[in-house]
Amino acid sequence: MSLAEASLAETTESLTPEAAQGPDYLAPLRLMRGHLGDSSARLAFAIGLATLGVFAELVPVWAVYRLVAAAVAGTLDWPLVTTHAAIAALGVIVGFAAMGLALGQSHLVAFDVIHRVRLAAARHMARLPLGYFAERPSGDAKKQVVDEPEKLEAIVAHGLPEGVSSVATWLAVSIWLFAVDWRMALAAIVLTPVSFVLLGIGMKRGGTYATAYQRANARMNAAIVEYLAGMPVVKVFNRTRDSFAETSAAARAYADIETRWARAYLPLGGAFYMLVIANIVVILPVGLMLVKAGTLDLPTLLLFVILGANYSQPLLKLFNQFHGLAHIAMGSSAVTDLLAQEPQADSGRRVILRNHDVAFEKVRFGYGQNDVLHGVGFLARTGEVTALVGPSGSGKSTIAALVARFRDVREGNVSIGGVDVRDMAIDQLMETVAFVFQDTFLFSDTIAANIRFGNPDASDDQVRAAAEAARAHDFIMALDHGYDTPLGEQGRTLSGGERQRIAIARAILKDAPVIVLDEATAFADPDNEAAIQDAIAALTKGRTLIVVAHRLHTIMAADQILCIDRGHVAERGRHRQLLEQNGLYARLWEDYLHARNTPLRPANAATITQEAV
Amino acid sequence: MTGQTTIAPSQDVRSDVDSLRRVWALAGLQRGKGLRGKVLRGILYRFFQSLSLGLAFGAMIWVVIDLAAGQVLDWARIGQVCAIVAVSLIGQTVFSYLSAMNAWLASFELASDLRLAILDHLRRLPMGFHLARHKGDTVTVLTSDMQMLESFLSDALPRIAQAFGLPVIVLGYLAWRDWPVALAALVSIALGLPLFAWTSRRLALLGIRRQDTQAEAGARMIEYVQGMAVIRAFNRLAKGEESFRAALADFRDISVRMVMQLTLPLVLFGAVVSLGVPLVMLAAGARNLDGAIDTGTLVTALVLVFSLYSPLLALISVMELTRMADASLTRIDRIMTAQSPPLPVSPKEPQGFAVRFENAGFSYVAGKPVLTDMSFAVPERTMTAVVGPSGSGKSTVLNLLARFWDVDEGRITIGGVDIREMSEERLNSLITVVFQDVFLFTGTVFDNIAFARPGATQAEVEDAAKAACAHDFIMLLPQGYQTRIDEGGGNLSGGERQRISIARAILKGAPIVLLDEATAAIDPTNERAVQQALTSLVAAKTLIVVAHKLGTIRAADQILVVGEGRIAESGSHDALMAAGGRYSNLWNARARSESWRIEGHSSNLATRAH
Ligand SMILES: Nc1ncnc2c1ncn2[C@@H]1O[C@H](COP(=O)(O)OP(=O)(O)OP(=O)(O)O)[C@@H](O)[C@H]1O
Ligand SMILES: Nc1ncnc2c1ncn2[C@@H]1O[C@H](COP(=O)(O)OP(=O)(O)OP(=O)(O)O)[C@@H](O)[C@H]1O
Ligand SMILES: [Mg+2]
Ligand SMILES: [Mg+2]
Repeated sequence: MSLAEASLAETTESLTPEAAQGPDYLAPLRLMRGHLGDSSARLAFAIGLATLGVFAELVPVWAVYRLVAAAVAGTLDWPLVTTHAAIAALGVIVGFAAMGLALGQSHLVAFDVIHRVRLAAARHMARLPLGYFAERPSGDAKKQVVDEPEKLEAIVAHGLPEGVSSVATWLAVSIWLFAVDWRMALAAIVLTPVSFVLLGIGMKRGGTYATAYQRANARMNAAIVEYLAGMPVVKVFNRTRDSFAETSAAARAYADIETRWARAYLPLGGAFYMLVIANIVVILPVGLMLVKAGTLDLPTLLLFVILGANYSQPLLKLFNQFHGLAHIAMGSSAVTDLLAQEPQADSGRRVILRNHDVAFEKVRFGYGQNDVLHGVGFLARTGEVTALVGPSGSGKSTIAALVARFRDVREGNVSIGGVDVRDMAIDQLMETVAFVFQDTFLFSDTIAANIRFGNPDASDDQVRAAAEAARAHDFIMALDHGYDTPLGEQGRTLSGGERQRIAIARAILKDAPVIVLDEATAFADPDNEAAIQDAIAALTKGRTLIVVAHRLHTIMAADQILCIDRGHVAERGRHRQLLEQNGLYARLWEDYLHARNTPLRPANAATITQEAV
Repeated sequence: MTGQTTIAPSQDVRSDVDSLRRVWALAGLQRGKGLRGKVLRGILYRFFQSLSLGLAFGAMIWVVIDLAAGQVLDWARIGQVCAIVAVSLIGQTVFSYLSAMNAWLASFELASDLRLAILDHLRRLPMGFHLARHKGDTVTVLTSDMQMLESFLSDALPRIAQAFGLPVIVLGYLAWRDWPVALAALVSIALGLPLFAWTSRRLALLGIRRQDTQAEAGARMIEYVQGMAVIRAFNRLAKGEESFRAALADFRDISVRMVMQLTLPLVLFGAVVSLGVPLVMLAAGARNLDGAIDTGTLVTALVLVFSLYSPLLALISVMELTRMADASLTRIDRIMTAQSPPLPVSPKEPQGFAVRFENAGFSYVAGKPVLTDMSFAVPERTMTAVVGPSGSGKSTVLNLLARFWDVDEGRITIGGVDIREMSEERLNSLITVVFQDVFLFTGTVFDNIAFARPGATQAEVEDAAKAACAHDFIMLLPQGYQTRIDEGGGNLSGGERQRISIARAILKGAPIVLLDEATAAIDPTNERAVQQALTSLVAAKTLIVVAHKLGTIRAADQILVVGEGRIAESGSHDALMAAGGRYSNLWNARARSESWRIEGHSSNLATRAH
């Protein structure tokens, strides 16, 4: 795609570190707390166990120190060796058992929390106005529901138990060491604060790239999703190597931001890992000098050598998890933002409807700043067919979408049975309206499941009857597994007309009192079209039918034809009346007849020599 | 949940060595970039960092042994120790920085190269490959799986090197001082490592299952939001039947299972290795009490024992990373090892643009042929209409011609040359298609049209748009040609999208034009105009049209009636009508259908169209 300039602009923009505000490091904890459910006791238990574990792991260190001290003092004997070996063994066993148990528990909690966050995020999405999705790549949803919550594992399963336990232990041991010899204790811990400061600075420097990183990542995700979705177009229109300029630019930009982040973070952040375990380089010289000065004995020096080199290890383990903290935090913030999005207002009221007349009153609506509908008003009566026709882009699908409240009107109102659709529970509204979309969307599930989408409780016979009405039964039975045939993504393994018929079967099965058909038979072949139309006509009894169609013959006999032009109802009436008005509809009709009969190309001079092979 | 990828574990699991070899091969993909060198240096430097730390321990032992023997320290000794320790610190600092720099940057670069390579490879794979797997799965390979690989290269590999650095020195030193103690120290490692390998294998199996499940969950989520309007319209959420639930629950369950199954072996590994500490205590203590080693050696052994085991224990956290990365590698390889259709060795040049199907047979699913014996010829610069019931294989004919799939039997030629013997670029330059399913990219309107011809000028794009009757509505959009189109063209009406895709096809200007129900979503007025435009446009082109429009079909030089996987009838309209076969039936059905109407029951108007 020749999006060169656009992507260039985006690249430079996304590479500028966000100086103003770094990631919110507490976001993961808040997100976790909100979805901990009944697991908090379990998590506390895990943390307690982990602390026990870390303490127990230090027992062998102490036991070894005792042996060393005894050896230096010359008091070593076999019982001393065996008891201390036993103590060490016990420490090891208890330590690992406790730690294993703790981590097992914390993981269970983590996966539960993650699962809850995911469900909450996914469910929340379903309550958002549909407009929310229109502006966002669908790759975002995957990130926010699958990838970002996953990162909480590092915090809940590792960060909390390992963090709390290692900090607690570290503090306890530090106090002990200070009690033994404060000078040596100082030497043992001096590198720790230094390394933390370095880590802090490194994270801060890296953190400035977090936003940019997040953005680059989202862009790459979206670009890849599209590249794959548009594969046929990519293949036909642009088989050269830069056919995926945007996608590869996105991938490059991502690698670039990673590199910048690493360069910013590494010199200092990387030093942390090295320094935290390097304190022997301080302990040894200081210790030797003190020994030389005669104020330190050898066993104590060795205590610090052994312990000093080891007791910071748990901290290291903790921070190994954390060098991605900025990304984790950004991810959690993204999920939190999603959850904070205002859902579509839902009155939740179930009301009794007198009838199922659909009425539009002075409806104004627009997607962006400009209005698409300017004061649309009509009444579609129960038991009647109301047809919407008009030029492409005039607002027919928009009107249809407003009936099901996929969007909310700006002014005026849409009502069913005299009740404003906004005063009805969304559930009730959705039960009332069945919809066949202009763009068929099927799920990658079996055919039966896709049809049953219309009514989960339908029996096999009902599913079959709906399929028969939609003229889908025959082709379904010809498939290898009949109704149990799994469909590929979005039903791409079916032909265009086959897909559309499944969508119609789905709507028929729903058996709702208001039915909206948006170009439902655009891809049907004439044979099928006639049969489907018959089936739909049979449905009309007692129902309100709103039909959008370009193939005008399909709506000629509608009770009411609304001719939509640039967001107005330009004309209304029956076919005959409208033809007599000699306005927009008459023109459309004439074009329709004409287009039907115009050859795509005037009879060609070249005749086909019957060279049929 | 159906449609889940089932995998044959036996093929997917490989040993650690095999995986390393595979990573190595991938690192060599871009020759001349020295990625392998960088990766190696990353590992080596980390080893050196470990050795530098070992240096400090060396200095420690050096003095401690003498101290334990009762020697008195002198300042010179302290000075030397300080010097060694300083060198150690500098070495650690420098090497850790160098290692991280090399490993990280190499991993980013490698992942980036690999991503581009996969993207490029994907585009060459037949459509069948893409349809057989969920888009979300492929996206996951290119994102999450690549990140796993990155972490492996930048983090795990160096840490493995680090884990072995110190222990090797310590063991060597112990062996030199007293081999029985060294042997005792080795016992726990020897017992632990098989456990490690076994666990690692187990993790490999679960890891790939888990990642597949994650990909499945991702795919479901993408589908969930794409189908949100449908989900709403059918009120699936209220009924608690969310399609993603199962996928998310599966993902949680497999994660839990993984932890459950792995915690015990990993704890065992840690405990077994760490039990080396009491063992060394016993062994060294016994040797000392026996008088076999002096106190200095005893003290050294005891002081070093933790430096021996701690780094090895760090392998536990590395293992997860490693196996995850390995699972990712497997998933990446599922794409990379898929065969793209072979490129012709010496591409042939077509003579003219006549299209022929010669006994073409094809099936999407083995055993379910869609085309059995399809033969027809479309002379250059003529128009052929393909008609037939829905699902008879009309779009398939076009798919084969564009080489989205290859025929199973027979052949398809353009200008006398089998399309499989043409270069990809050549075939592509010959054909332009308006698909039954419109697809637009995120980007501006301009970009979407110009996609057909990179470098097209504004004027060229506008001309194409005008011909497709798209110019007027485009000019009414907020930013005209620079208006951004949402994913899948969501912010345009159905007819608007279709007209942009027609403009794109027009701009390409290829000599063979394939139209698959190209005007199905367009209103009569625009349709008429679009048709007029196409009329002038295609005067000199070879045209194959799938259409229901009577006018188009009637005017075709040749009508192909598709049925039962072959050409059931062919000929001109008049000839076919006269023959009174399938076509005439179809035609009559059409006439019936066009007089059909959706009839309201309150209506007593029973008008039949003329
Ligand atoms: N999500 C959206 N965001 C912004 N503009 C939109 C969006 N959807 C539609 N529009 C615009 O609103 C207008 C009306 O669109 P609508 O889909 O209702 O047309 P339509 O009458 O159904 O056309 P068609 O016959 O081509 O399907 C068009 O100009 C379109 O570009
Ligand atoms: N990718 C696929 N995998 C498996 N089967 C497929 C695939 N694509 C199409 N089919 C099947 O092949 C047959 C022919 O499909 P095709 O799309 O060519 O039909 P068509 O004649 O274009 O129909 P329509 O008029 O409905 O578009 C159909 O039965 C369809 O279910
Ligand atoms: Mg529409
Ligand atoms: Mg088709």
